[in-house]
Amino acid sequence: MSREEYQIPTGSASASVGGGAGAGAGGSSSYNAPAVRDYTGSGADGGTMYYMCGDCAVRVPLEKGAAIRCQKCGARVLYKERTKRMVQFEAR
Amino acid sequence: MPHKPPTKEELERRKIVGINEETITDVASSDYPLHYPGEEHSWDIDAFRRGFSIQFHHNDPFEASFSLIGIDASIANAFRRTMIADIPTLAIETVFINNNTSVIQDEVLSHRLGLIPFKGGHEGLHKFLKWWRKPTDETLVNSSYYDYNTVSLRLEIQCEHNDKAAPGETDPTKLYKHAHVYARDIEFCPVGRQDRYFSGADTIAPVNPDILIAKLRPGQEISLSMHMHKGVGSDHAKFSPVATASYRLMPVINIERPILGADAEKFARCFPRGVIGLKKVTAKEAAQEGSGYEGHEGEVKAVVVDPMRDTVSRECLRHEEFKGKVKLGRRRDHFIYLVESTGQWESDAIFLEAVAHLKKRARDLEKQVVNMVR
Ligand SMILES: [Zn+2]
Repeated sequence: MSREEYQIPTGSASASVGGGAGAGAGGSSSYNAPAVRDYTGSGADGGTMYYMCGDCAVRVPLEKGAAIRCQKCGARVLYKERTKRMVQFEAR
Repeated sequence: MPHKPPTKEELERRKIVGINEETITDVASSDYPLHYPGEEHSWDIDAFRRGFSIQFHHNDPFEASFSLIGIDASIANAFRRTMIADIPTLAIETVFINNNTSVIQDEVLSHRLGLIPFKGGHEGLHKFLKWWRKPTDETLVNSSYYDYNTVSLRLEIQCEHNDKAAPGETDPTKLYKHAHVYARDIEFCPVGRQDRYFSGADTIAPVNPDILIAKLRPGQEISLSMHMHKGVGSDHAKFSPVATASYRLMPVINIERPILGADAEKFARCFPRGVIGLKKVTAKEAAQEGSGYEGHEGEVKAVVVDPMRDTVSRECLRHEEFKGKVKLGRRRDHFIYLVESTGQWESDAIFLEAVAHLKKRARDLEKQVVNMVR
């Protein structure tokens, strides 16, 4: 998949894009994994993405074109959320 | 000229590695055939049995010290290396991270988890649990985990504000709940027959529950599960059953000419406490012609009390007043082991296991050699 093909992952049905935050990531065995978290919030508002505030760690919903700013503390540094998928590591 | 068999003193002398101020002499052993004209010295099981002995100095569950006397360095070193690299233990091998929002990266967290030593029921660990081999076919990995080769662990922890904290509190451990993640927060998830072997006092748990794994702040979370497998130290140090297994050679201190009075006290201070003692020169010694004690009755003299405690710092060789009066060395065939267990085995059991392991490997080699010449 080229970079241009990438679409913002959404909670709706069309979340089959590689790298999307789809539930039940194919095949990866989630040992004792808690229920897959919903990273896109309610799912109804397709354009809303959630970010983490760099200062107060609150989840910040951002609409397309909205100011990049934490609604709680006003910090202007927001981080992408971590993947919802299980990631496997060797303890070495 | 007919060959004279060596005296007892000569045989003793041959076993000593000389330690001088700047140099070391007689490092290699010489008790092998054709080294001394007219002497045999080929390896002989009966001679070995006569000369070999074991002394235990202390034997605690997690630290044992003992001496093997009358053994070659090659065998002594084989035991040491076997203890470090070939005795299997159980350790965390795979980490499945569902979430980790702490400041410590997934890779580093996994590495730290792998290094935590765990304990558990001996029967389960050493008899019930078998090796896990990664299937060559990647798709079969998930069906290769069984109760007899995999131990499952979980670590689920979230940091929150502590509402009961006193106002103005600055200690993070009081200000927040679960600000520190410790090894004791890891939870054992028994499957299948593991309940039978690992319950009650035999449960799989960290040896040291207070090992700090990570630090969290409110809103941060660690959620992961882990698989433990059996492994050996030659694969990764986390599998080594010993924190250290080492040996040193027995120090030898020979006071060849009397060291008396204030010199004796200074001499004792050149060594760790307990190595050199002070004794009064007796009337009998003072009466003896040529002993060096003449006219010194009642003065203190330095005597060697416990050379094993010496670190062989050679401090005494730096002082002019002891020149020619003392000779330092080490006994080449006296190995003082120190085996420090990480907790999965008893220290002395690690050594016994190493002996059994070396025996088995010798037998395997014998079989191969027999097959080769057939
Ligand atoms: Zn904020």
